[in-house]
Amino acid sequence: MNTATLVPEFPTFAEIVQGLGAQIKQLRALAPRPTLPESVRVQRAIATLIAETNADEAVWLESCIRCGQCTTACHYFQATGNTKYAPLRKMNLYRRIYQRELGPFRWWYRLITPPVTLQDLEELQELVFDSCTECGRCTMVCPMGIDIASLVHHQRSALVAAELVPPELAAVQTEQKHQGTAFGASPEALHRMVETIRTQTGIEIPLDKPKAEVMVLTSAVDVVGNARGLWATARVMNHLGVDWTICSDAFESANFGLLSGDMGLWKKQVDLIVAAAKRIGAKTLVIAECGHAYPALRWNPTLKGEELPFEMMYISEYLGRQAEAGRLRLRPLQGRVTYHDPCKTGRRGGAFAEPRAVLKALQADFVEMPANKEFNWCCGGGAGIFLLERATPLRDAAFRIKMQQVDQTGAETVLLSCASCRLNFEAGRQKNQWNKRIESLVELVAEHLIDEGTAAAEGAA
Amino acid sequence: MTLLDYARGPVIQAALVIMIAGIIWRLLGVLVLTRAADLSRPRDAFGNFKGYRTVFSRAWPSSEFLTATRYQTVMAYVFHLATLVVVIGIVPHIEFIQGLTGASWPGLPNGVGVACGIIALASLVALIMRRLTKPAVYCSTWGDYFAWFVVAMPLVTGLMAFAHLGPRYETLLALHILAAALFFAWFPFGKLMHAFWFVFSRAQSGIAYARKGVQI
Repeated sequence: MNTATLVPEFPTFAEIVQGLGAQIKQLRALAPRPTLPESVRVQRAIATLIAETNADEAVWLESCIRCGQCTTACHYFQATGNTKYAPLRKMNLYRRIYQRELGPFRWWYRLITPPVTLQDLEELQELVFDSCTECGRCTMVCPMGIDIASLVHHQRSALVAAELVPPELAAVQTEQKHQGTAFGASPEALHRMVETIRTQTGIEIPLDKPKAEVMVLTSAVDVVGNARGLWATARVMNHLGVDWTICSDAFESANFGLLSGDMGLWKKQVDLIVAAAKRIGAKTLVIAECGHAYPALRWNPTLKGEELPFEMMYISEYLGRQAEAGRLRLRPLQGRVTYHDPCKTGRRGGAFAEPRAVLKALQADFVEMPANKEFNWCCGGGAGIFLLERATPLRDAAFRIKMQQVDQTGAETVLLSCASCRLNFEAGRQKNQWNKRIESLVELVAEHLIDEGTAAAEGAA
Repeated sequence: MTLLDYARGPVIQAALVIMIAGIIWRLLGVLVLTRAADLSRPRDAFGNFKGYRTVFSRAWPSSEFLTATRYQTVMAYVFHLATLVVVIGIVPHIEFIQGLTGASWPGLPNGVGVACGIIALASLVALIMRRLTKPAVYCSTWGDYFAWFVVAMPLVTGLMAFAHLGPRYETLLALHILAAALFFAWFPFGKLMHAFWFVFSRAQSGIAYARKGVQI
C-alpha cells in the first residue's frame, strides 16, 4: 500500500490554534519599546502620511459628507454599535493632518485646528489596527466610493514611523525585519518540517531545486505548526505532476511589512521572493493560503507585472484553474458546504471564480452565504488583528455576524482559503462551541484526491 | 442704497466671485497632486474603462445595502431633485440667471415651484432629524450643521418671500438673496463640494477595484 495516500496524523488545526494562543501571549513581552523622542515620533508620522498622500488619497479625504452609511457595512460598528468604530471616524486624524499640511486651504486649517500630538496618534492605534481589518466593505456602500481601507493602511505606516505598532504585531515585524523569520519559521524549520512530512507520510517535497516551472510559497503557520497544510500543498502539486519547488531562502508568504504598515519590510520580503523566482526560472509563483500575501505580491503596485517572467497566483486561483482544466481528479465532497471569501483575495483581490470552480469539481453541495463575494462580511481576524490580545472582545463580537451568515446557509462546513481567517474561525468555533467544521481549501482538495495509489487501495479493499 | 439693492448688487456678485475662485482653487489644489502608478498586471484589461462605471452605478445603493440606506437615499434624492426644480424652474430665478448669462427658458407655474420648495425643505428637515437622532452613526461636525443651515436658509426665505410672510416683501427678498449669497460663498469651503468630488472619488475606487476584477 502506498503510504503517500494516507491522511496523516498531524496535530489538528484546533490544537494548533490553542498552541498558537500561548505563543501569541509571549509576543507582547518581545515587542520593541519606543526609542525616539516624542516630537520626533509625531514628526515622522506626519511626514510619512504626507509622503504617501497623492491625489487619490486627497480626493477621498475631501469627499466624505458624513452620511453615516459606512456604519451599516462595518462588522465592528455593527457588532458593537459604538460610534468610535464608525469607518468615517477612521479618516478624521488623517484628514486633519492633510488639511494642515497639504490641502489647498492649509494656511486656514493651521489657524483653526490644533497640531497633532502623540496622544492623538496613540488614540489612532485602536482605530487603524484593532478595529479595522482593511476589508473594504465600507467602500461598497459609500455613496462617494471612498476607499477607507487604503486610507487606514497609510495611517498604519504613519504609526510604524511613530513607533506605535501594537506590541504583538511589532514583535513579529521586528523578528521578520532582523531575523528574516516570522514565528521562528526559519529555513531550518522548513527543512525539519519537510523531513517530518516525508517520514510520516512518504510525501516528497522538492526543496531548493535549481530550476523549476512552479515556485510554491508556504507560510509560518504551516512551517512551525500546521504540517497538514504543507503536506496538502505537496500532495496536490505532486498529483498534478508539475515541476515544482519550494525555495528555502524565499518560502514565506506572510509579510509583516504589509500587515504592520512597514513599507520597507514589505519590499524587502517581496524582493527576496521575486529574486528566487527569477533565479529558478519559474513561470508561476503560487502563493500559500495567507490572505494578505496576495495583495503583498500579486497586487503590489510597485512590481511591474507585465515585465516579470512569471505569473503570480493565489493557491485558490491555481487550484481553480487546474480544476477547470480537468487536471484534479477528486472524490465528491460529502455534506453541505459554504465558502468564505477572505477580504484580501475576494473583495480586495478579485479571486472569486476559482475557489468556486474547485467546489464544482468536488461536486459539493455548495450554498453561498446571504452576503457573499464582494459583499462578504469580514470574519474580523484579518490584517494582523488575530494577533492582538487587546482586540479580542471586539473580534469576538464581530465574529457573531459571520456565524449568523454561515448558520443561514445550513452548511456543516465552512471552507476558506486564508490562514488568518482560519485561525479566527477556529478560535471563534471553540469559544462558541459552534457546530461547524472549518476547513482549508487546499487541505480539503488534498484529502479528496484520487490518484493511482488511492484507486489501487480502494480496489483492493 | 437699500438692503435689497445691496444684496442684489455687490453682495451677490462678491459671493459668486468667491464661489468660482474657491471652487477652482480647491479642485486644482487637490487635482494637481501626483497620482501613484499601479504597476501590477491588471486582471481585467478593460479595468480602467469598467471602473468609470462606478461614477454612475454608485448613484443607487446595491441591493445588499438597500434596506439600511433606503430612507436616507430616497430623502436625499427628493431633496436634490426638488431643489434643482426650484433653482432652475421658477421665473424669478430664471430672470436672475438670464441677467448673469443671457440664457433663458420658460418658467414653471407658481404652484409647482412652491410645492417643490416645500418638498425640498421638508426632505431637508427629515434628513437633519435623522442626523440629530442618530449621532453614533453620523458622527456630525459643525460643518455638517452649517452646510445644512446655508442650504435651508435660501429655501426658508424664498418660501416666506413668495407667501409674503413676516416683514415687508422687499426685506424678505433681500434676505433671500443674502441667504443665497451665503450659500454661494460657503460652497467651496465645506462639504457642499461633494457636488464635484463624487465624480473623482467614485472613479478612483472604481478603477482600483476593477483592475483586480472586482466591480464595486
